[in-house]
Amino acid sequence: MRMTTNPVRPVLAALLLSVLVATSVSAQDRPGIQGSDPPHKVRLDFNRWHDTAELYEDLRTLERAYPKFLSMRSLGKSHGGRDLMLMTINNPDTGSEMSKAAMYIEANVHGNEIQGSEVTIYTVWYLMENYGRIEQITKLVDERVFYIVPTVNPDGRDYFLHGTGAGSRTGHVPVDDDNDGLFDEDGPDDLNSNNNIEQIRKYVPGEGNYRLNAADPRLMEPVPPGEFGDWILLGSEGIDNDGDGRVNEDGPGGYDGNRNWASDWQPEYIQGGAMDYPFQLPEAKAVNDFLMSHPNIAGVQSYHNSGGMILRGPGAEWQGDYPAADNRVYDQLGEHGQRLLPYYDYLVIWSGLYTVHGGFIDWTNDGLGMISFSNELWNGGQYFNSPALKEQQQDPDSPIRPDLSGLFFDDYLEFGDQFVDWTPFEHPQYGLVELGGWKKTRGRIPPRFMQEELAHRNMAFTLFQAGEMPMMALGETMAERVGGDVWRVWVDITNDRIAPTITARAAENHVVPPDLLHLEGAAEVISAGWVRNKHAPGATDMIDQADLERIIIRNGHPGRTTRTIEYIVRGSGALDLRYESVKGGTVQTRINLR
Amino acid sequence: MRKRWQGEGRISRTSIGVVACALMVLVLTAEPLRAQTVDYTKYHTYDELTSALQGLVRSHSNIATLVSIGETRGGRSIWAVEIANRAGVPVDERPALLMAANLEGDHLIGSELALATVEWLLTEYGSNDEVRRRIDEQAFFVVPRVNPDGAEAVFGPVATWQRGNLTPYDDDNDGRVDEDPPEDLNGDGLITFMRVRDPSGPYMTDPADARLLKRADASKGESGGWALYWEGRDNDGDGFYNEDGVGGVDLNRNFQHEYPYYAKDAGRHMVSEAESIALMEYVIRRRGVAAILTFGASDNLISSPGGRGELAAAAALSLFDQAEASTSGARAVGVMSTATAGFGRGGRGGRGGAPAGGGRGGGGQQPATMIDTTDLEYFRTIAAKYQELTGIRRAAVTRAPRGAFFEYGYYQFGVPSFSTPGWGIEMAAADTAQGGQAGGGGQRGGGAGGSPVATDNDKRLLDWFESENIDGFVDWTPFDHPQLGEVEIGGFKPYVTSNPPAAQIDELLAGHAQFALYLSSLFPRVRIASTTVTDHGGGVFRIEAEIENTGYLPTAAAQGVRAGAVQPVMVQLGVDPEAIITGDVKTNFISALAGSGTRRSFQWVIRGQPGARIELKLRSQKSGSESMMLTLR
Repeated sequence: MRMTTNPVRPVLAALLLSVLVATSVSAQDRPGIQGSDPPHKVRLDFNRWHDTAELYEDLRTLERAYPKFLSMRSLGKSHGGRDLMLMTINNPDTGSEMSKAAMYIEANVHGNEIQGSEVTIYTVWYLMENYGRIEQITKLVDERVFYIVPTVNPDGRDYFLHGTGAGSRTGHVPVDDDNDGLFDEDGPDDLNSNNNIEQIRKYVPGEGNYRLNAADPRLMEPVPPGEFGDWILLGSEGIDNDGDGRVNEDGPGGYDGNRNWASDWQPEYIQGGAMDYPFQLPEAKAVNDFLMSHPNIAGVQSYHNSGGMILRGPGAEWQGDYPAADNRVYDQLGEHGQRLLPYYDYLVIWSGLYTVHGGFIDWTNDGLGMISFSNELWNGGQYFNSPALKEQQQDPDSPIRPDLSGLFFDDYLEFGDQFVDWTPFEHPQYGLVELGGWKKTRGRIPPRFMQEELAHRNMAFTLFQAGEMPMMALGETMAERVGGDVWRVWVDITNDRIAPTITARAAENHVVPPDLLHLEGAAEVISAGWVRNKHAPGATDMIDQADLERIIIRNGHPGRTTRTIEYIVRGSGALDLRYESVKGGTVQTRINLR
Repeated sequence: MRKRWQGEGRISRTSIGVVACALMVLVLTAEPLRAQTVDYTKYHTYDELTSALQGLVRSHSNIATLVSIGETRGGRSIWAVEIANRAGVPVDERPALLMAANLEGDHLIGSELALATVEWLLTEYGSNDEVRRRIDEQAFFVVPRVNPDGAEAVFGPVATWQRGNLTPYDDDNDGRVDEDPPEDLNGDGLITFMRVRDPSGPYMTDPADARLLKRADASKGESGGWALYWEGRDNDGDGFYNEDGVGGVDLNRNFQHEYPYYAKDAGRHMVSEAESIALMEYVIRRRGVAAILTFGASDNLISSPGGRGELAAAAALSLFDQAEASTSGARAVGVMSTATAGFGRGGRGGRGGAPAGGGRGGGGQQPATMIDTTDLEYFRTIAAKYQELTGIRRAAVTRAPRGAFFEYGYYQFGVPSFSTPGWGIEMAAADTAQGGQAGGGGQRGGGAGGSPVATDNDKRLLDWFESENIDGFVDWTPFDHPQLGEVEIGGFKPYVTSNPPAAQIDELLAGHAQFALYLSSLFPRVRIASTTVTDHGGGVFRIEAEIENTGYLPTAAAQGVRAGAVQPVMVQLGVDPEAIITGDVKTNFISALAGSGTRRSFQWVIRGQPGARIELKLRSQKSGSESMMLTLR
């Protein structure tokens, strides 16, 4: 028997080496490190909210600074005519896009959920600024491709940021919400022209169901059952625009861009906001066309807000849980994420959030075979995020007790920026009322000064997922003469990452092409099989396929696993073995029969 | 002479049956279609159909328009004929009947029925009051060939059973696309079947008819001995015969209701195809469409829906299903047990896993899958009328309508929606459909009784061929197969189970044209039936109004209401909301108003200026709108 050893895990070896090198070089030897941080090549701000044009301008700045790695293009137009810009990160020196597993990252499908877009810009910026500086980042960029779409709902984003913030979850294809034949004719109105939609409250002594908080009259609280208050709430700031006797009954849009996807899609009466058929919305269609033509994508992250969640599918209980093999993969990734993201829980959408039919990550998991997460960015628990302060919040005399904590935070950390004090207003339908309440940027979005940490931690989770996408390698090979010119050939086939090349669900649904094992050379294949245990004699699982020079591995190669293939061949000379995987890459080795 | 089914099963341009058929029209059809200019003695190719449509529209340009609703991968336009007198309400807002045919590419008879209905409506417009009224006040939207690429394959040199479009699809997901289509090994121009003596084969000769096979039932002491395949070679050497042919997506499995997820012929996802997108975009922009009639492989007209709203069971073609089963294992090749992969064995189902007791439910409302009991009577009444008008009692072959367009039409678009193969193998014993049948005597294709269950529909078809003198089955003939050795090639000819012989087209046309007209006569008709204005003095007036639905159908099917697909009827008084002192609100909605004279009353007491004129507005999605000016006095 002759054993030859290929570099088993060349990447890990390189990493190990580089760690040694890095620790042996003192800071003074490296230019730019003179007791302070190296300057950034591109300076961007990560503590304010950018509209679509500003996001794209930041991307263009990065593209100009890193033209070798970055390329921008439009996936298509939104209903409102805005581009859906894609940033591709690929190192051409390490292979073409389609030869490497890709991580797809998007944000902002709901127009008001804006901070995810800032995370995606941060991600592009961080990867580029640290390529060649931080070894893990360098390796990640070399091994993987990143497809980043900072906003898949630019109409909704700009409606939120430029407008008053009302009704901006939806996209902006007009929908007749109130069945009167008119479209989007009666949305909220900024009656007091402060670029914000407040709440309306009305003073109705002894006849209301709300009262003012005794400690802070800016706060409204419902009265206990059986009592009466002096106030009622009358919804969002607005008037009866169309004179039908109702206020704000048909605002912009009125659907949900995250219910227009083709897995467990359900009609409007089962799933509100679904529209008439999957991919009817131009934004969903553009994204899906891209995803379907990029089967190298193995991982997906769609950033939402809020609540602090690392969500996976399924979106509805009736879909049944994922196969156990897929759950194990998701759990390894999700539980790791919980350690990176304090205040975030790893949850299944339907049981941890609410039922979603036709959601984006259900489609990417079930229909496209991509391991998919959706992070709900920002958890209100992060306002007072030390154990001591949490403890103090239990004290009913504390100014940060739960009902008062929001205004306390706003008064003393944001200096009153986020709350509009109640002011009287003469309303055409309701008479004398008061307008006031929280601004659009408070609640689901973090305080600006806390955004960079949010961006970094969520990015770190997504980069971990990207690193754990499948990556095939061929290891030890062995060729042993059995008799005459008949040989036994063994080759180790390895995927050292967590994710399989094909998920169990993708194999069930036949949505990812199978992995293929090709054997080429001047030899006749007598049999092929999988060696159960290379180190102990035992049976081989024979492969019962008609064509043993092109073996189909329909459910792919699991994560963190080495398999040994055995061929019994008759022949001589060189044999080329090639493992082809759409998501795990293509690797090749040569075995000489001599 | 044996009547050939269009030249050895292929659809040829010239029909041997032309002469016989011309005679039969005179004898058979109680109400022959008048003044036909289109030749219905043959099935039309795409070009022939296009020029027939263009000719009809050109000669009736006052009431007909031909529009392209989309383009196929093969570069063909999908035509819609819009029939309406364009004076008056915009056509896209009118109550309309949508007809769609040939979603299954091999279902050519549907195109002929649609084409003939177009011609009949256009030619009757001048003389038939009923037709004139429908065309003046309503509209007909007719898409006679939704799948022109698939249909064109029927006219190709080899008949293949192709039903889908031309979208390439890796049916067996082996990484190769369309690499193992069937071949016409014996050169008869037909793809039929191969049966092979095989000790492990699951089929035995059917005792009911030695030409058929049935699955052996070991529990009854039966043993197999035959394997069955589609005719052809194993091109890719994977051990399966003809498991991945050309194309395609079966368009009538590509829509949103009970979509067959990840089935090999249903497309990558719902509404994935250019043809299905075109049809969806067309219908969702025409919310006046009040009923849908499709011609295709599923049925809810020849057999009425059952008492719980379920459709009759499909009548399968066993030989077809048996051949399909021979390829199903191709999708399972290469599945490896992950238990041997060195991953931690067994263990948890995952942290986020579904709690015990999961499964259906819990997540809220389920989509409906049976016709609502309130709507059922309408469906049954309409089906009975269809049976009366067409005389068709039994379809040849039908299938369960998962993902079918007409099911979308009812369950999601929310209107009465129908499908019929449009022909049958048993006809009513009425004088319209009997006397002159070649081979005559008694009902067509009787004699099915007593056959074993597995193949009774196949046997029924063979008997029908016999009685109609149709050459629809290739007798099993030995053939030396390059891979399998000695085989026998034979079985049903392609398309004979999806279309009647061309000679029988003509007798089917009148009934279907009349049925289309009948459907369009059932639409709801909501009008302001009466109004009164009473002056109470002091600038206070009482306004009373009644609206009435004089049509047969309700303004919305119960499923249309449940699905939120049909807008409620809106009754709105044109005053400031503050002017209403008491009574109804300014804008009122009625989710559904039953037909046959059902009324609803409204009243408002308002403040107003004597002599002022006030608009009363009625808006109904499926029966048009009306507005009336009332004077306060």
